[in-house]
Amino acid sequence: MTQDIITGSGVSKVYATATGPLVALDDVSFGIREGEFISLVGPSGCGKSTLLSILGGLEDKSLGRLEIDGREIDRPRADVGMMFQTPVLFPWRTIRENVRLPGEILRLNKTEQKARTEELLEMVGLSGFGDRYPGELSGGMRQRVGLARLLAHDPKVLMMDEPFGALDEFTRETMNIELLRIWEAMRKTVIFVTHNIGEAVFLSDRVFVMTPRPGRLEGIVEIDLPRPRTPEIMREARYGELVFQIRRMLGVDH
Amino acid sequence: MTDTAPIHAPPSDRQGDAIARFMESERRRTRRELWTNRLLALGFGLFVLALWAIATHGGFVHKLIIPTPLATLEAAGRVSAADYFWPNVWVTLQEIFWGFVIGMAAGAFFGILVAMFAPVRATLYPYLVALQAPPKIVLAPIFVTWFGFDMESKIAISVVMCFFPMFLNTLTGLSAVDPNAIKLMRSLTASRWQTFRHLLLPNAAPIMMAGVKLCWTLAVLGVIVGEFVGASAGIGYLIYAMNFQLDIPAVFFLIILLSVFTLIVYQVIEWLEGRVIFWNSL
Repeated sequence: MTQDIITGSGVSKVYATATGPLVALDDVSFGIREGEFISLVGPSGCGKSTLLSILGGLEDKSLGRLEIDGREIDRPRADVGMMFQTPVLFPWRTIRENVRLPGEILRLNKTEQKARTEELLEMVGLSGFGDRYPGELSGGMRQRVGLARLLAHDPKVLMMDEPFGALDEFTRETMNIELLRIWEAMRKTVIFVTHNIGEAVFLSDRVFVMTPRPGRLEGIVEIDLPRPRTPEIMREARYGELVFQIRRMLGVDH
Repeated sequence: MTDTAPIHAPPSDRQGDAIARFMESERRRTRRELWTNRLLALGFGLFVLALWAIATHGGFVHKLIIPTPLATLEAAGRVSAADYFWPNVWVTLQEIFWGFVIGMAAGAFFGILVAMFAPVRATLYPYLVALQAPPKIVLAPIFVTWFGFDMESKIAISVVMCFFPMFLNTLTGLSAVDPNAIKLMRSLTASRWQTFRHLLLPNAAPIMMAGVKLCWTLAVLGVIVGEFVGASAGIGYLIYAMNFQLDIPAVFFLIILLSVFTLIVYQVIEWLEGRVIFWNSL
């Protein structure tokens, strides 16, 4: 638990625009331990999604060093799974076939993948929906399929870019509880991008608070709430204090 | 496969009967609407036919300009029983088939090439777009000069007519993809081929199928125009010859025959389309 699996030092991202350089990410340094649940929180333009993209190897950084398992990130890697705001299910594949996509791409053992797919569907509460098509499911159910697919090839690190941001408040809360339950069971390293402070505090071990123009890591807040957590925890004073502390760091309260 | 859970919750017992009655009345209403629509369409067709009969039999329009329905029917029997009929139909069918298949395949092939390979796009795209603007029909006389009076020249015209809609629709279809889906494939370290096969191609299928339908009507058009310009056989050639002999009923019959044939194949393609891109109706 004490070993850093991901380290970043002096990471910057600069875009060349017609009006000059645009600094999206300015000198960000951090370490993330194996099995940790980290949230990146901040308003639009704080660079949280950019940082996640770079961590996932989808985008290049401009400056600095960024390593996973001691290896420089310069391309996507199979042991890092990514999930986006939209579930991006393929409508021509059944639910089961969608969950099996990573296994097909990575040419994993078919028999093992078959069993794993059923386990995962069970875990996200969708056993019985394997032969359905995405077009027949609700938004919340589709994002559950996305969650199952994220775990299909058993990646070590999960990068989630506002995965429940497009869902309604009730579904989002249910999904957060589900996510925690699954994370408790698997203890994978998670980097979770959100602009919802309460969500970040509820889920995380540590919250990276980011501010915009230029995108900076303002500070890191240790979430010392006990685990396993239930929504009851939101009634506790400590939860409120942490939310308030982050709000102050973001300059929301004056 | 028993692995399907109900999507909708069943009605509560208390209201079960009322809901069953409601569903039944809804079913009846939908059926009634369907039949009303069919009758309206059929009625309009009969109305036009009646108008045609009155205008011609009543002597309001000269029969050299528009033949009577009965004369057209008589011509249908006469022409289709003639020795020359089936060989000519066969020629046209072959021309349409090859024009359609080659034009479609070439359009899809170049569409994929231009969409998938940046250097190919940089090299060819400006020219393909520029070539798309002028009407392809102007090539018909040249093609007859180049390829002669036989089938080759008609197939060539048909291929050129088919090529562009298929090319552009393939290109558009392969480009119109959710950026997050691309990111997903990249994050899974998918190869270009895997991305193409698992994401881009099925994603492009609806727009490509629209291209296939466009191709079909243009393939027929290309062949018939080619036969008008210069041919020694084919339905277009027959239409031209009959028109010259002022056998207008025969011309009418051939036009109707061609229209019905084009329409039937079009319907088959639409049926296939529904099969291929089944997920659009989910």
